[in-house]
Amino acid sequence: MAALQESLGIGVDDKAGRGRRGPRRPGGARGAFGILFAPVTLLIVLFLVPFLIMVQMSVVRFPPRVDSGYTLDHYVEVLTNPLNPHIAWTTFTIATTAMIVMLLVALPLAYFMVFKARKWELFLLLALVLADELAPVVKVYAWQVILGRNGIMNWLIPGPPVEWLLYSSFAVILTLSTTYITYTTIPIYAAMKAIEPATFEAATDLGAGWWQQARKILIPLAAPGIFVAMILVYIPMLTDFVTSDIVGGTGSYMMGQRVRDLILGQGDWGAGSALNFLLLAMSVLLSLGAYRLARLNRIES
Amino acid sequence: MSTKTDTGSADHAGEIVVEAVTKRFGEVVAVDDISITIPGGEFFSMLGPSGCGKTTTLRMIAGFEAPDAGRIVLQGADVTHVPPPKRNVNMVFQAYGLFPHMTVGENIAFGPRIKKWSREETRERVADAVRTVRLDGFEDRRPGQLSGGQQQRVALARALVNRPAALLLDEPLGALDLKLRKEMQLELKDVQQRTGTTFVYVTHDQEEAMTMSDRIAVMNGGVVEQLATPKELYQRPASAFVAGFIGTSNLIELRVDRRDEGLLAMDLGEGQRILAVAPDAGGDPTLAVGSRGAGRATITVRPEWIKLSTGEVGDRACHVGGTVVDVVYLGSVTQLIVLLPTGERLTVHRLNDEVGTEEPRPGQQVMLHWAAEHSYVVGSEPGAAEIARGVVDATPAEANST
Repeated sequence: MAALQESLGIGVDDKAGRGRRGPRRPGGARGAFGILFAPVTLLIVLFLVPFLIMVQMSVVRFPPRVDSGYTLDHYVEVLTNPLNPHIAWTTFTIATTAMIVMLLVALPLAYFMVFKARKWELFLLLALVLADELAPVVKVYAWQVILGRNGIMNWLIPGPPVEWLLYSSFAVILTLSTTYITYTTIPIYAAMKAIEPATFEAATDLGAGWWQQARKILIPLAAPGIFVAMILVYIPMLTDFVTSDIVGGTGSYMMGQRVRDLILGQGDWGAGSALNFLLLAMSVLLSLGAYRLARLNRIES
Repeated sequence: MSTKTDTGSADHAGEIVVEAVTKRFGEVVAVDDISITIPGGEFFSMLGPSGCGKTTTLRMIAGFEAPDAGRIVLQGADVTHVPPPKRNVNMVFQAYGLFPHMTVGENIAFGPRIKKWSREETRERVADAVRTVRLDGFEDRRPGQLSGGQQQRVALARALVNRPAALLLDEPLGALDLKLRKEMQLELKDVQQRTGTTFVYVTHDQEEAMTMSDRIAVMNGGVVEQLATPKELYQRPASAFVAGFIGTSNLIELRVDRRDEGLLAMDLGEGQRILAVAPDAGGDPTLAVGSRGAGRATITVRPEWIKLSTGEVGDRACHVGGTVVDVVYLGSVTQLIVLLPTGERLTVHRLNDEVGTEEPRPGQQVMLHWAAEHSYVVGSEPGAAEIARGVVDATPAEANST
């Protein structure tokens, strides 16, 4: 989420700059500055300042004081600790699997909403928004009730209770996939909404079957939406700690939990901040990569 | 290597037969028992107002809609239940349906690649199609970088490259401006003649249909009102609807006062009369009842056939006086609106082929005449003229421009 906010901040600054350069409306520059003054100030105070504090914490020698001096020890420690690559790998596999699951659900769902649902389209859209409005913690606890040893799933499945349903990577992946389904579906829905329905009729007319149409027409045209969905969803999953806390097990210990435990558990602000900064840097790189791909695939019209 | 069925025999090449086809959407009958035979190589148009069933009929030929009754026969083979990719026809859509993420060349090569033609054959045919629609040099552009007319050409080439037995066009010029549309009309006709492909063209623009078509089916309310050549449609409209839809037309309610020598006549006193050729024996029975004072008829007469007269006119000519109420200069013609004693208004077109011709002024009395053969009976039902006038009013102004 942090990277997204940052890019948003940059975007706002950019617009203000352009407004100031506006050649024909001399009053426009001051107008744009006036309108953007409050949000830009808010962003600086609430986002940039804490961010800079975090960066500083990651390079200040322990114990953090004004005269402690600076060091890169925290980064060295984070990068050399044998536990961290393991946690990173777990986080990566869980987030990626959840992402794939969500795309497998969101792509057909978005297609259905745009081209087949007709009068149910708005209802499904509202249902998706409503699903997101629920408090995330409540949703995670709901899964605990469903997947638990005495939960609904085990009540439905005959035989002895299935243990791995809860407190496992499976539970984390399943819960994450449902938590962010709204943010996966809506961008893809928006991208598909822009596709002219005659495009598919033309493809049918030219002899393309449903698979060829999906592969050659639907996916390429929905690609910008897919990339946006991936940025929106992948980054918060990298830093999520609530889900794994509640439904995860020892095998699903994720980066978000690691940062939280370093800072709040062990009071190691230096290592926690350094790891956090590395995560942020990775998120920015991911975003840039996805942005680049989305641009490559953008339809010029 | 075509995946489409080529079961048709040579004598039926390009032929399309629509046989007693009916299509309903819920309660609405969109197409009502239509039968049309389109010989191979013809430029055939289906013309009518929106909701007349023309697009539905086209989509049934393409296979996108299934008829509730009747058969579609392509090149002698029944294709009523064959899905669109397996029919040897291709469609050009009103919205084009181009693939925005592919270049012009990739768009055109889409069909051949799906059909897995060989690399050389695909390249050759794509190049051929590009030349046919004069898009040389645009192969690497994307549709979004092209003008409306160029996009239309891409859609045309993408369909033509498959060498279909027939090309189905659904208002393909609807999104273009008037000037470009006129250019494309001539070009479409040219492409059709060069390729010898059967074209089935759907439009609501009568001028467009007249410009390009070998034959036109004028449709209304799910039925074919008349199927004829453009000239026949214009000169001998079969119904008040056709008369109103094709070109500008005067419709006159005729009270049949007498019949002689095959003419119906309405006497207006002082030697003035409106005449019309009585329909054949096979015509409307209510008209065939020739007794004095019985029967009414609706006749149509084209504005350019009505002349201003100064002296006597022949026996077989209509002769009627009236008051000029409006004079409009339209360039090649001047349009007069003349109010008749019967209360009807006649539109008269005078060709401006001489310099300095004196035009009548509003309020002036004029005498008009035209040959009885030019009054064409289009119906006997009362109110036919009103129906047709409603059609004229509802038609966009540019569709009626001369």
